[in-house]
Amino acid sequence: MNSNILNRELKDLAEWAVSYGLKTGAEEAEVTVIDSREFEVSVRMGEIEQLVEAGSRSLGFRLLCEGKTASASSSDLDKKTLTHLIRNAVERAQLGHYDEFAGLPEKTEFTVEPESLQLYDPKFISLDPKEKIRLALETERIALGDKRITNSHGAGFENRDILGTLASSNGFVQQYRESYGHLSLGLQAEEAGQVVEDGWGHGTRFLNELESPEEIARKAVNRTIRLLNPRKIKTQNVPIIFEPDMTSWLLGFLFSCVAGTSVFRKMTFLADRLGDRIADPRFTVYDHALLPKKLGSIPFDSEGVPGRNKTVVDRGVLKHFLCDTYAARKLGLESTGNADGGGVGPTNFFLENGSIDPADIIKATKKGLILTRAIGHGLNPVTGDISRGAVGLWVEGGEIAYPVSEITIAGNLGRMLEDIDSVGNDLDFSHSVCGPTLKIGEMTIAGE
Amino acid sequence: MINSCALVFKDHFHIPPEDLQTFLKTALSRGGDFAELFLEYRIFNAILMEDDIIKETSESVGLGLGIRVISGDKTGYGYTNDISSQAIRKTALTAASIADGNRDYTPPPLYPKPPSRNLFILKKPASAVSLADKIELVKSAYASAQQHDSKITKVRASLTDLIQYVTIVNSEGTAVTDVRPMVKLVCLAVAEKGSEREAGFYGGGGRVGYEYFQHDLKPETIGREAAGEALHLLDAEPAPAGEMPVVLSAGHSGVLIHEAVGHLLEADFIRKKTSVFWDKMGKKVASDRVTIYDDPTIPYFRGSYNVDDEGIEPQKTLLIDKGRLSGLLQDRLSAKILNMTPTGHGRRQDYSSIPIPRMSNTYIEHGEYDREEIIRSVKKGFYAHHFQGGQVEDTGKFTFSVSSGYLIEDGRLTTPVKQATLIGSNIAILNSIEMVGSDLTYSLQTGICGKDGQEAPVSDGCPTMKITSMTVGGAR
Repeated sequence: MNSNILNRELKDLAEWAVSYGLKTGAEEAEVTVIDSREFEVSVRMGEIEQLVEAGSRSLGFRLLCEGKTASASSSDLDKKTLTHLIRNAVERAQLGHYDEFAGLPEKTEFTVEPESLQLYDPKFISLDPKEKIRLALETERIALGDKRITNSHGAGFENRDILGTLASSNGFVQQYRESYGHLSLGLQAEEAGQVVEDGWGHGTRFLNELESPEEIARKAVNRTIRLLNPRKIKTQNVPIIFEPDMTSWLLGFLFSCVAGTSVFRKMTFLADRLGDRIADPRFTVYDHALLPKKLGSIPFDSEGVPGRNKTVVDRGVLKHFLCDTYAARKLGLESTGNADGGGVGPTNFFLENGSIDPADIIKATKKGLILTRAIGHGLNPVTGDISRGAVGLWVEGGEIAYPVSEITIAGNLGRMLEDIDSVGNDLDFSHSVCGPTLKIGEMTIAGE
Repeated sequence: MINSCALVFKDHFHIPPEDLQTFLKTALSRGGDFAELFLEYRIFNAILMEDDIIKETSESVGLGLGIRVISGDKTGYGYTNDISSQAIRKTALTAASIADGNRDYTPPPLYPKPPSRNLFILKKPASAVSLADKIELVKSAYASAQQHDSKITKVRASLTDLIQYVTIVNSEGTAVTDVRPMVKLVCLAVAEKGSEREAGFYGGGGRVGYEYFQHDLKPETIGREAAGEALHLLDAEPAPAGEMPVVLSAGHSGVLIHEAVGHLLEADFIRKKTSVFWDKMGKKVASDRVTIYDDPTIPYFRGSYNVDDEGIEPQKTLLIDKGRLSGLLQDRLSAKILNMTPTGHGRRQDYSSIPIPRMSNTYIEHGEYDREEIIRSVKKGFYAHHFQGGQVEDTGKFTFSVSSGYLIEDGRLTTPVKQATLIGSNIAILNSIEMVGSDLTYSLQTGICGKDGQEAPVSDGCPTMKITSMTVGGAR
């Protein structure tokens, strides 16, 4: 099982903390060590604004004494500090309560080879800092070449190199390394005294998959320019077309409603709906942990449960709540390998691609709104209610007529899932939570 | 003099003061204009109660050091939690590389001292309260929510406390230490009726000691209010949609001032000319009734601090004076670029973050109207009661999310309603603030503000206010 040891010092530290925990009185112990390196540059108006380079380490652990849980974390890896924290935790656990559901996962023999997922691109990490800076400068320079752009929020490039180590008292010890890079740009444009803003960014694990400065600049410019001269529209109910990155937040909201932790806390309107039809048959959602190179892929979760591919909604039927070991035991289910350091997190949580070209979805819309950006926090998982500020493009007679702003959209996720009009064919995995263009039959727009 | 911070500094960093000077010298060795070290040590504790049991306790230690070098308008930054001389030197050289020349400058000697005032004099600091007593507090909040009504089906209560020790030294001779406490007790309650389900939230705390929960806000009140909000929402109807007069409740509505005004007066958005306010200094941007302050010096408030994260003593700052734009929230770099005076609003999430201009406690000054008088003046409109938060764009377009409210009909609050987003353009809305109440109230001491990926504790306040017309985005 120890075939993937990349850094012996950190592995030894994690194993030491596990054994010290057990020696101090814990029955179970789980230790995570994160070692990360970051590079970040932001440029604006052709000049470097900020340059950050750093490395940091942290250790977190969870101990169980007689079914009572205590946890701790530290960025001070001095053995004296860690010894103190472990002793404190064992002492603190005595004051907690016995919880029959608490504990580490059962040991499994099945493992996923981290290499098989291709999560690390050494070329991305070792890219010359000068080149990283050039990418950001170039992206902004191209965009500012467009005369309609009047100001820049700046462009940024960031890069992360993360080595994770997990060891636990059930014999698990594994490490894996991940890379990530992100290039982005924010812009403003102005016409007739009205300023509009938007931008674009793209993040990948592999350098050769990252969109070029030209591509990012072009998208950022188009996204900004198309909002010029916005109008306000009347309050009405119309179909809403979600662009792919808007489908992403909708899916993110769906995730929070199918997370096992929300379910046992009754913090979701889907709590009693496992096995029910909750959506249109054209709506299938997966949580796939094992897609090579993808942003959300993991060989094992934060408890060491192997990552796996799940169907969350199968042609409209709710098939899985996503669980860590604790939520699974509370709900009488099995862990889905979604533990995320004390909670539950998505891996690659995505809406299955449809078959319709987004341009055809627009063509088939007599009257409606293409949602290009949402602002604000109005999401309530307990009821599924949605109410957010919106920016978008008004569609009339199958064509984009004009941009709109200062409106809100409101609806209910439960009803929206049953009211799917069309699913686009443009799924691109540019976020770990994502989906293609999606048209919902009707939502309420509040305007004039 | 007893200086607990200096002791902590010595215990955890083992850095002799003369070495601080050396590290700054190294940081400037490539020709930077300004260098700074930010040393941080923090201890965070949390207790969670759920499903009738104390489910988990946790403790977290943060130790690290950030080094910043400014060269012209550029910032170089490095951080480390390996605090060996060798690692710090390497970090200093990383930050130094933002400049590309040479400089041999020895900064003045540094002897970090506490700031001149202490806004947080605590009777019972977190360290003086036993875990057993803290657990009792959580249980009290939990029990009072659970016992409030038979329709309450789930409760979650949690208590967190934090103590942060910072030491800030720079090449201009600033050398200051500070101790910042923080406590927060919150409760979430779920109510069910048939297949309907709603959640309510309440909480409080601040940079206070545990005596706060005996005198200022009892845990029972926190539990009861959370349960009450959940029950209230069970009876609420969907909110209306469209443009209408809006009355904002005192206290909770402070988030509107935070979003619509505060963010866009953060001086980094002004110097970049991305804020809609960048060319409006001294100009009229709001109705005469509107006066807004940001005050980091309110004792015991979440957003307060004795010294900011750049070592500058903070100032109560007048942002809008009877409708006229009159002040900005400055950090060191923005003040330098704009050639203005720093106001002590440079804040950072922790040692790994570059300081940026932030709000602290932002509030709108009270007016003369009675709350009832304001509500009576509306024939048909919306009363915004509780909020989930808000967001703003530099163009001035902002939203904030109302979790619960009421319809106003013929001058009275009638049907309870839920879930609506209010949206507007800030200058237009500020000009349509028609009435300002006499009842200035502060929001719950639980607020967090996010900017550039950094979180900062904040609070806000406002009296009851009437806005002539605003877009309410409900589902009906």
